[in-house]
Amino acid sequence: MPFANPLNSSPLAFPILECFHIVGFALSIGTVAIVDLSLLGIGMRRQTPAQLNGDTWLWTLGGLILMFFSGLLLFSSDPDMYYLNWAFLIKMVFFVSAVIFHYTVHRKAVSSDTPASHGKLVACASLVLWAGVIFGGISIGFVNQGLRIS
Amino acid sequence: MLLSFVQWIQLTDFFTAMRGSWFVYPIILSLHMIGIAFFGGMVLMTDMRMLGWSMRRRSIADVVEQFRVPKRYGLLLLVTCGILMAGAKAEEYYYNAFFRTKLILLALVAVHALVFRRSVYADPAALDRTPVIPGKAKVAAALSLVLWTSVACCGRGIGYIEPPLEKIHAGLHFVTEAALTALHLPIGPEQPMR
Repeated sequence: MPFANPLNSSPLAFPILECFHIVGFALSIGTVAIVDLSLLGIGMRRQTPAQLNGDTWLWTLGGLILMFFSGLLLFSSDPDMYYLNWAFLIKMVFFVSAVIFHYTVHRKAVSSDTPASHGKLVACASLVLWAGVIFGGISIGFVNQGLRIS
Repeated sequence: MLLSFVQWIQLTDFFTAMRGSWFVYPIILSLHMIGIAFFGGMVLMTDMRMLGWSMRRRSIADVVEQFRVPKRYGLLLLVTCGILMAGAKAEEYYYNAFFRTKLILLALVAVHALVFRRSVYADPAALDRTPVIPGKAKVAAALSLVLWTSVACCGRGIGYIEPPLEKIHAGLHFVTEAALTALHLPIGPEQPMR
């Protein structure tokens, strides 16, 4: 190996990064969920989804950035393991889909002031995609054998 | 006494079955994480609103009152999943320093709620009427932020400690054996024949 990842020199680095990762996803997925609940007509009735999105989009983005970069560092600690871990691959599929969905379909459904007819469907899809990211992320630690390349 | 209680909990049919399944624990843990996203996100936004950092176009009353019910459901999910996971590994967690710290922090969360319920959370509209956000609300929000973040981080820490249960059990066995030998009693039927 040409150089050692400094992250692996301290046993504390990984858990601390994980804490940032947790705060990042609480912030990003939590704020997305607030808007989705509003689209579903659950709670937050005094504001429209568009208003709530205006309030939270920056926090969603901030949480995503925190989650992404802490995740990138976590990944860098053992890239081969993650690359060969099918739970991680599923998580990445969900993550990429969720982000793309969020900044295209979801954004459109939320930003119109007149409630979109398919708003509830969009909210459900958004929640399922983000929940998939979480399920995939948790499963990484439970998949002992990665994909085998022969 | 508490130790024998947690051992009994863990050995009930329900939790034994849960431990035996390879997929139940990850699913419950994932639901716990979904609870963190839901509940944690709303806690962060509420606390930061009370600190004057986020959602400033909304009144504090709008944020606090409208998040109250969804937050309760999120907490219900978190606590349910938490109890299920703790029950399945009750003895292991009994020895776990992060688990103990997390319980203490959760007790502090309860104290926080008792202390600030009346003066801050019961009448959030009053916080909107003053020209600047009252100090007590900011203190409550900052403490809540620190407490819940610590709870989440301690929760993550739990997974990093694996108490050497086998050694502990072997130690206990050794003590009983020594006691039995001292009393000149047969050690047990599982002893190999000499």
